[in-house]
Amino acid sequence: MKGNYLGELEELVLLTVGVLYPEAYGVGVMDELENQTGRSLNISAVHAVLTRLEEKGYVKSKMGDPSQERGGRRKRIFLLTAAGKRALEEANEVRNQLFSQIPKIALQFSY
Amino acid sequence: MKSRITNNHQRSTSPPKWADRFLMWYCRADLLEEIQGDAYELYTRQVKESKFKADLQFIWNVLRFFRIRNIAKIKITPPGIMLKSYLLIGLRNALRNGATSFINTFGLAIGIAGAITIFIFTDQFLHTDDFQLKRDRIYQVTNVVNRDNNKVTLGDVPMALGEALQNNVPGIEKIVRMELGDGAVRVGNTVFSEQLYFVDSSFFSVFNFPFVEGDVSALDSKKSIVITQKMATKYFGNKTCLGETLSIKFSANRVEEFTVTAVINQPASNTIYFNFLLPIDVYFDLRKEQVNDWRYLTDGLFVLMQPNHKGEEMESTLERLVTLQHASSPEWLTEKFKVYSYQSLSNQAHEIESGLAGPGNPQGVYVLCVIAFVLLMLACFNYMNISVATVSTRLKEIGIRKVIGSSRQEIMKQFVIESFVLCSFSLLAGLIMAYFFFMPWLNALMDYEIPFAFSSAQSLVYFFASLLLLIVIVSGVYPAAYISNFKPVSILKGKEKFGQRSMFSRVLLTVQFVLSFMTIVGCFVFIDNSFYLSKKDWGYNHDQNIVVPLASSTQYLPLRDLVSTQKNIIGYAGSKDHIAWWNPRSSVEQAGQRYEIVSYKVGFDYLETMNVRLKEGRLFDKEIQSDAIESVVVNEKFVSTMGWNKPIGQIFEYDSIKRVVIGVVQNFHYDDFYRDILPVMFSVTNEESYNYMSIKIEEGNTLATEAWLREAWKKVAPDDPYEGALQDKAFSNWVRNNGQEIRLLSFIAAMSILLSCLGLFGLVSYNITRRLKEFSVRKIFGANTLQVFRLMSLDYVWILSIAFIIGAPTGFFLMDALVHHIYKDPQTAGPAPFIIAILLMIVTVVFTIGSQMKRVAEENPAKTLRSE
Repeated sequence: MKGNYLGELEELVLLTVGVLYPEAYGVGVMDELENQTGRSLNISAVHAVLTRLEEKGYVKSKMGDPSQERGGRRKRIFLLTAAGKRALEEANEVRNQLFSQIPKIALQFSY
Repeated sequence: MKSRITNNHQRSTSPPKWADRFLMWYCRADLLEEIQGDAYELYTRQVKESKFKADLQFIWNVLRFFRIRNIAKIKITPPGIMLKSYLLIGLRNALRNGATSFINTFGLAIGIAGAITIFIFTDQFLHTDDFQLKRDRIYQVTNVVNRDNNKVTLGDVPMALGEALQNNVPGIEKIVRMELGDGAVRVGNTVFSEQLYFVDSSFFSVFNFPFVEGDVSALDSKKSIVITQKMATKYFGNKTCLGETLSIKFSANRVEEFTVTAVINQPASNTIYFNFLLPIDVYFDLRKEQVNDWRYLTDGLFVLMQPNHKGEEMESTLERLVTLQHASSPEWLTEKFKVYSYQSLSNQAHEIESGLAGPGNPQGVYVLCVIAFVLLMLACFNYMNISVATVSTRLKEIGIRKVIGSSRQEIMKQFVIESFVLCSFSLLAGLIMAYFFFMPWLNALMDYEIPFAFSSAQSLVYFFASLLLLIVIVSGVYPAAYISNFKPVSILKGKEKFGQRSMFSRVLLTVQFVLSFMTIVGCFVFIDNSFYLSKKDWGYNHDQNIVVPLASSTQYLPLRDLVSTQKNIIGYAGSKDHIAWWNPRSSVEQAGQRYEIVSYKVGFDYLETMNVRLKEGRLFDKEIQSDAIESVVVNEKFVSTMGWNKPIGQIFEYDSIKRVVIGVVQNFHYDDFYRDILPVMFSVTNEESYNYMSIKIEEGNTLATEAWLREAWKKVAPDDPYEGALQDKAFSNWVRNNGQEIRLLSFIAAMSILLSCLGLFGLVSYNITRRLKEFSVRKIFGANTLQVFRLMSLDYVWILSIAFIIGAPTGFFLMDALVHHIYKDPQTAGPAPFIIAILLMIVTVVFTIGSQMKRVAEENPAKTLRSE
């Protein structure tokens, strides 16, 4: 069960990987997350989440091209897998379904 | 060109090196590139703003990346596998060179055994009286006086001081005064003259002596006596003796009966040596007037402070009490009363003259420690030498190991482990040797009964751990570091050669022999001097003389009547004091200067009987009336101290009487050789004061006459023990010590020779094995054994000569200084120690190399050369 469960941060990172296609890598994901959601994460945390996602089979990775600013080192590029896409769709669906069931009145008033 | 520029650029803005290195060290190889890349990317971005911030951020990131998931699996070589290989190869090597390994281990074991033995010895010495549970609260009060402008600390303090202290210092729990006395102790027909300790009944609540029988209340009654186990056996045999009575005859013919109320044991580390304890009230009854007198000095005063009170609290009261002492006895002024803690006595007791507790001067023990350390170092160098030499045949193994992939650290580890195993083995062997041989030997040599024990488990652990560490470091690490540094290619090509030919090895061997020459020459200097002193002329002939101490002067005349009928006795005389038995110190004032002298009061004929040698003038004469009153005979030292040119007829005042010098006698030794000869003066006294009778016996009849004297004594004084002794026995203690020192140092010298020869033997046999082919070729070309021998030993001759030139004089001067420090009038050491040392060394070296050369001589060269 645990393997299929998508945590909130995991979901965000997975979404960002999709957004950044085809150039999603550690620092890029971190920057994008900060820009879009205002959440400032440490790079090691992003790495940890990405590794976890890869273990769950939602993303796969390949080595990219070396760049000057990385001291000649290559990036690890992350891509969504089919399972990853499905997981995102499921999460989105669950969310929409739940959202649509909220009575209108509950959204109109706030206490 | 371009890449260089970018490199330079990078260097100037690169993140902290150590952090980067740390990252590379811990990070999994497959994750390193992206992690490091990301970290660098962030750094490059940040560094445009501020290098400092970027550095901090980089470090922070590196630390944050330090997660289980990212950390490389530490590649642990299963220790078992390599360890097994190391041990196996080590064992094979050790077995292949069986003799050498044995010598190696054995030599080290000897050094270790010596070190263990001396350590136990020192440990015992420095932890005397440890069984005294209250020793941190016990203090001895001593008496600092000015004697001839020297400050002397005496154990003797005024009798009244104890009570005065107890009344004035609230922190004191108990005091114990100790007064020494003599008496003839009798049980049935057994009579011996014994030393008695009169002590306060608080003795057993201050000191913890284990009771065999009885308890702490043993001294409460005035009729009670406490004896030691030894005395119980002496007087009562093996039966229990609680409640038995014994009678003691004190001076002035007073006889009293006492009941044994306790028997106690004296532990080996005890330093208060008593045999009989009596309540101090018995002593006060004997001498009523001295109970509370500031003039009378008792032999020892010990104070037990209450818990959480310190001995220093007594100081202000003691300062006040000094004035009291000054008022009552102005002629013997106390400078101050000094307090010693009982714990500090183990290394300070020698400062106190006639103190009752604590061991002697620790100097001797320190010297032993130094010697033991030198011996241990000798053994370690030995080990190092042989290991380095042995390793030369293992260069190929090291080369192969390196080619296969061993790092330098691993080679070092291998050799350190090997030497650790060997050293542990040596340690075990040394322990066994110390237990079964060295300790019993030392105890027998020195007349000690020191058990094989440590004062505490802590000291045991520390000692052995540090010993092992020291040995492994000294003997294992250096060779290991040295060997592991070779390049495999040059080893395998056969370019690296070392061992006997290397400078390092030679220096080691030289150091080793310097140490052994130092020890040998030093020991012989000391032994030589000891022999010299044991044969030294005492300044008078003493081998035909017997002295009989009298229990009372009334015994003199009846004994004289008997003695004068014996025709074997060719001379006799009475005296109040006696040379070497009782040397009363006194002082003479001359021209405003006080001189310390020894003043004997003797009967007529005493000087003739004692064979004192007359230099000038005459001895005492019965016919001359003034001789009984004012004439004195002095020794040469007296004359030189006074600065007299013509001593005969010189007049000085002594004891408020005018004295006239009538004769000068040669200086003689009345005391052991540790002390200077003082000015000596003889004057005449009458029969009422005689304490001794001196008897001169015809040569060859000593034993028979002594037996006859013993019988005669029984007729004269049936109640008193016969305590006569040959004058020869005057310094029996000193003679025994001297003999012990000779034996101990001979033993050390022998060990040192043995160790060096073992080392040399191992080295030579090893090198011969290595060069066997060379020698075989030489032999084929016609070299004879002698030529090969010369070739082989030339190196060693050089090393030994250099070692001798350095080591022998060093040992000589060090030991000579020590001897002069100990003895007042030692021999000026001659060349004998050098000659003996060098002869011994030549003999052993020739023997060790020679025995090895036999192998070469007998070896068939064809056989050696065939195998390749």
